[in-house]
Amino acid sequence: MIHQREGIALKRGLFALLTVLIGAAIVAGTAVIVSARGAEPPTLKATVVGKAQTAKGELTHATLDMSIFPNASASQPGPNIPQGEAAMVGAAQGWPFYSPSTSLELPANSLVTVTLHQYDTGGQIYNDWLAKVTGTVDGKASYAGVEKTSIDPNNVAHTFTIHQYPESTQPYFFVSVPVPAQADNAPNEANGYPKPIDVTFSFITGAPGTYVWNCEFPCGTGYVEFGGPMSQRGFMSGTVTVV
Amino acid sequence: MSTVDERTPEADEPEVPTNRPPGMHLASDWLKRPYVRRILILTVVIAAVIIALTFVMVAFMNMSGGPASDIQAQIEQTMFVLTFASAPLMGFTLAILTYSWWGGWGKVTTETEPTEEGPAIRTNGVAVVTWITVCSLLAAFLVIWGLVALAQITAGSYGSTPVNQQPNATKAIDINVTGQQWLWSFEYPDNGRITSDVLVVPINVPLYFNVTSKDVVHSFWVVEAGVKIDANPGAITNTGFTPNKLGSFNVRCAELCGLHHAYMETKMQVVTQEQFNSWVREQGGVKTS
Amino acid sequence: MSTVISPPGGGTTVAIHEQPHVPQPKQVGKPGGFLRRTNFLTAVISGIVLAAIFYFVTVAIVNKVTGGGQQDDLSLPDGLQAEIAMMYIGWVIGFMAGIGAFAGPIRWFLGNDLTHADAEYMSGKDMGREKYWKYTTDHKVVGIQYFIVMMVLFGVGGLLAMLIRTELGITWAEVFNPNFYNSLIGTHGIVMIIAMIIAVTGPLGNFIMPLMVGARDMAFPRLNALSIWLLVAAIPPLISNLFMGGIRDGWTVYQPLADQSPVGMIGYQITIIVFAFSTGIASVNLITTIVAMRAKGMTWSRVPIFIYGILGSAIMGLIWFPMYQYSQILALSDRVLQTSFFTPASGGSVWLYENLFWLLGHPEVYVIVLPATAALLELMPVFLRKPLFSYKLAIAGIFGIVGLSAVVWVHHMYMTGWAPASNYPFMLSTELISIPFSFLVLVMLGTMWRGAPWTKLPMMAVYAVIWNKVIGGITGVYLSDTPVDQYMHGSMFVVAHFHFMLMGAGLFGAMAAIAYWFPKMINRYLDERIASIGFWTAFVGFQITFFAMFVAGLQGMPRRVLQFDSLFNVANWVSTIGAYIIGTGMLIFLYAIITSWRGGELAPGNPWGAHTLEAQTETPVPHENFPVLPVVTSDPYDYGVPDPYELADDDAIREAEGVAKVGA
Repeated sequence: MIHQREGIALKRGLFALLTVLIGAAIVAGTAVIVSARGAEPPTLKATVVGKAQTAKGELTHATLDMSIFPNASASQPGPNIPQGEAAMVGAAQGWPFYSPSTSLELPANSLVTVTLHQYDTGGQIYNDWLAKVTGTVDGKASYAGVEKTSIDPNNVAHTFTIHQYPESTQPYFFVSVPVPAQADNAPNEANGYPKPIDVTFSFITGAPGTYVWNCEFPCGTGYVEFGGPMSQRGFMSGTVTVV
Repeated sequence: MSTVDERTPEADEPEVPTNRPPGMHLASDWLKRPYVRRILILTVVIAAVIIALTFVMVAFMNMSGGPASDIQAQIEQTMFVLTFASAPLMGFTLAILTYSWWGGWGKVTTETEPTEEGPAIRTNGVAVVTWITVCSLLAAFLVIWGLVALAQITAGSYGSTPVNQQPNATKAIDINVTGQQWLWSFEYPDNGRITSDVLVVPINVPLYFNVTSKDVVHSFWVVEAGVKIDANPGAITNTGFTPNKLGSFNVRCAELCGLHHAYMETKMQVVTQEQFNSWVREQGGVKTS
Repeated sequence: MSTVISPPGGGTTVAIHEQPHVPQPKQVGKPGGFLRRTNFLTAVISGIVLAAIFYFVTVAIVNKVTGGGQQDDLSLPDGLQAEIAMMYIGWVIGFMAGIGAFAGPIRWFLGNDLTHADAEYMSGKDMGREKYWKYTTDHKVVGIQYFIVMMVLFGVGGLLAMLIRTELGITWAEVFNPNFYNSLIGTHGIVMIIAMIIAVTGPLGNFIMPLMVGARDMAFPRLNALSIWLLVAAIPPLISNLFMGGIRDGWTVYQPLADQSPVGMIGYQITIIVFAFSTGIASVNLITTIVAMRAKGMTWSRVPIFIYGILGSAIMGLIWFPMYQYSQILALSDRVLQTSFFTPASGGSVWLYENLFWLLGHPEVYVIVLPATAALLELMPVFLRKPLFSYKLAIAGIFGIVGLSAVVWVHHMYMTGWAPASNYPFMLSTELISIPFSFLVLVMLGTMWRGAPWTKLPMMAVYAVIWNKVIGGITGVYLSDTPVDQYMHGSMFVVAHFHFMLMGAGLFGAMAAIAYWFPKMINRYLDERIASIGFWTAFVGFQITFFAMFVAGLQGMPRRVLQFDSLFNVANWVSTIGAYIIGTGMLIFLYAIITSWRGGELAPGNPWGAHTLEAQTETPVPHENFPVLPVVTSDPYDYGVPDPYELADDDAIREAEGVAKVGA
């Protein structure tokens, strides 16, 4: 009699444990699947090209080359969002994006020179301050060869703004460079895009840390055009890892 | 089912006959009941623990360098006052709870229904009146303390006379705070409209913030200074404080604003007046006149 | 015609009046008509079909209007919003048509009104298991349906909670995309809120309440079926949002951020609009039943306190849910029709949205907490064998909360800068509402006073709930104080506070109520051992999780963030471990429910020795509830025996007056 009661208790205990394990498996499975689907684009590493003299002494010099396209096309397929999901978030071919990737890796304590090839049109930026160059080596960026500290706030296409992670143990880091717009009637070249405007700037990285970057020009959809590609990793926002 | 309450211990000596209504006993006799004494001791112990925990709570609040302003100091003082005032009532509630759970008045652990019933106490006028009075007084105290504290911090920041117009006060610095997705920018109109991503301020000078947003609702939270105000699109809201501690503190966004809400954080550097002036010059601005 | 019954041995004669014959409409076809063919499956199929039809028709219209092709100018209205909105609307209408909700009105319109035989069919008489899958009006069936839906919602919400805590526990990386994380917290919030709103009022308000007032069913049985099936229809749009880009906003879906979300937000808005109808209909039903269908002799002084809790909650829900529904209708209009109620760039106001939202948002938490608290007040006398202490004070507390809940909503908006001067009166009203709450606490403590608890799970759970309520209460005092709120608002401290109230007092209270009434609903005892292990494991995990969360909030961690300063790491690791413990406990409790439902020990009609009317019915409860409608002669709290301390006094008086001692 007692053995029977104990037997039932043991059986019930095992089934209870089984319920817990099934629940845990569902949680773990869901986490893994969702995490994989939301993965960032593959990392783009800055290329080390040697050493350079800076105000902080001799540092490693690395370069990074990116392009900003107004929409995906046959020649530039754009970031990889699964097709059905793309329709659900409203991502048609018409979303601007940074190419080849938005997950950037930079060396620590180095001088990093970034070159952006800009193919998109633009307009008026909401916050004039972001039409200024902030955080670069001499406070300037080079626009098609001309060094400037700011551009016309009515003719901005995008910005490249790296800003702080909420982590007090890593150095504070803020770089913001506006990118000027193409003329609305610029003629398209063979690849379907107009001749690029090149923007080059350099900044110095500090100790290793993780940061995020995003564009601060309303080039998206939704309210005040800050939705859509603006709020999607892989298009107009990404991560910067300083290693 | 027993028709007499055999669980409650026998009453003490019958009291002298009085005209008191049933249920109302002499306080001294009530306090002699063993369970009453035990519950009161438990109340004191639990209230003491609660009061001790307040110090721990406030220590957590100061872990990142605060308090950096009088407002935060007042907030912490208010936490002490609120807890100390509520501790006795909380203690009493938890004491009864603990005593009953522990089996101070007995427990029935059988599988079948209990065979005895407890005392048929439908109500007790003294208990009800005392409880309502105490709770009401506590609520009144808490609300008056809170209203006074609110008036004091408001007068210092966004009251009817803004700080920078109050007579004989140190000249306040106006700062326009703009929140947008996903960063803060600070413009100093008094210093030649320089704009910065970091909030640099001199110590012991009142600050007056005009806060707005370019897109969605954000919330401007200077953590260690204890001020927070929403940054609304299409409106300007105000807050203010006087920093009284040098150092680097946190400015965070406290309202979900999209993809990088978690990363909408920047620093407040409280520096000396000389350092502030040289910083202003570096940014290309002019010293506050 | 009437039958007169005289009990043997004398006593009051009872006359039973049989229903005089009422002329019925002509019976066309079999009883039940169209409803014979409808069930959950037909509803789902017809919902999908109509959703597809609405979607493609809207696509065609949009293409005609915009000239077709790719919408390249991103600033023009997006036809996709209208298409998805019509798809969801099609789903809801199709689902309700497929379950047979329109059969009654359509037949009335066609002059082919429902007959008594139809009504009997709809009430699931003699139907077996299939009645749970159909549009059944019997309140007992609807109660079980709410119970299942509630458990499904808790399962989904719990899964999302585990994902959230996993993200927050893995502090060194982003586990999920920030967009998905934002959708995760928002969806977790709204799913749990909906689950908590129906947690006690759904299963117990429907199954137990009519039995407790001595009625055969609720006042509007067909509306009862309508309210549960509207809720079921509302759930797929809500869950689908996670596959449609997500809502990317908290459960409060503040505008104008909600306008930047992808089309998943439309799912949320449609869900709320439909859910508000469901709740409004259910509230009307509950209030009417309680007011108009109480048994003979059940005066307002003899109504069980649980009924008062349900009544108060239903009144608040009925008045305030339209605010929430309205806010979502306007938000949907902003999105699809490009109106600008809430978009400042075109002249709208964000504060308008916040006010509309919180006008419901605050009473809603009392809608959640009040039924659970009232259920505990109901079961305490049974397990302590003492009357409820100061029943009238409890009623005053309940209605004090109902009244004051209308004037405290701005305490959620202290920091919005909307009307800084309003912070003062709303701080006063928020503090005042603690007084009716204190009435309820006194009633609980007074009932416990000098009572020996019967240590079954429902009673032991009461201790857990009161502990949680006290912690939630003191932290609420901090938050209600505007200066302190200046630090705490938007931090994890707020999150921990409302979890203590809604989950600690609300959910654990609902679990106690379910444990109490499980034998009545399911005819079997809930396995005491397994359910207790599950409950207490979840309780311990709950304390760990949310005390650690208070610490994180005090340290300055904002809410709704997936990455944060390393200062908060330890608090979050502890909190995540606690959350996994909660998950384990809840799964064990779920297992207890499932295993007891399938093969638990059979329970009698009155397993706990209660004096309320539902405990006097047989179990399983017969289709018509009572063979004869009962007559009530006293309140259900006539427990207890003379108090020896009273007797001592009386003895002294008697002795002084020379009368014999009682009980000598």
